[in-house]
Amino acid sequence: MIPPEVSLDSIKTELTDALAYAASANLKTDVTTLSETNLCFYVTFHNRDRIEFYAEFNCTDYPALPPTIEFVDETRTQRGAKNLYPNVFHTNPCICMRYNRKAHGEMGGPHGEWRLIDWHLATPGGGPIDSLAMMISDLHVKILNATGRMN
Amino acid sequence: MIEEKLRDKEDKDKDKDKPRRVTLQIQTPRGLWNKKLPKDAALRPVYEKTTKIQQIIDDARTVFKFVENDNKYTLFIGEQQLEPNRTIVSYHLEDDALLILSVQGGNA
Repeated sequence: MIPPEVSLDSIKTELTDALAYAASANLKTDVTTLSETNLCFYVTFHNRDRIEFYAEFNCTDYPALPPTIEFVDETRTQRGAKNLYPNVFHTNPCICMRYNRKAHGEMGGPHGEWRLIDWHLATPGGGPIDSLAMMISDLHVKILNATGRMN
Repeated sequence: MIEEKLRDKEDKDKDKDKPRRVTLQIQTPRGLWNKKLPKDAALRPVYEKTTKIQQIIDDARTVFKFVENDNKYTLFIGEQQLEPNRTIVSYHLEDDALLILSVQGGNA
């Protein structure tokens, strides 16, 4: 596994572009929780009706393994419930992209055909999404087009 | 009639004074593209106002080496998605307007 200090260093390097992109797209971010003992940061996405969706990026073992991206409530006490998700993702519920650890069969997700170490390869229907900024960009557009919460 | 013609002429004269080119800023997931950044960029986002949005997308992809054709590349201003076949002038984009190039992957 990846030493936490190495993951933290990678995350901080990538956050330069990721945070600049998020700021331009009017997405709120919170990286104040990031440390060697807590490799999580948060991005608040929204759709065109200004409904907010709070995503947690848990980057343990990043970049060898992809982050676990989970929707949480505003206070970050609830996570993974359907009603926390925008209605544009798999109803497991799960963001079914190779860059999300939760989507992989090895982690109990629906995609047993994917290998975690190949997370930066293309997901069907698109090309590779291989950085935190690209993940935020991908999610930004998809969630912008959501019509509401998952039921 | 004469007044109308005079007004038309005045409008045309005003258009003459407006700059025909615009300098934009484009934020991408790989960095900001503007007059100065990235330092080694072979192109700068300075366009005739009649340029189509698709040209800006193509140029931003070139500058940041977004070579993956299977991803979807879209320009936004705020939350408004810009249509590739429309021109810069049709969106009334002014100097230093900040656009966002989004990169969208697949969905399994």
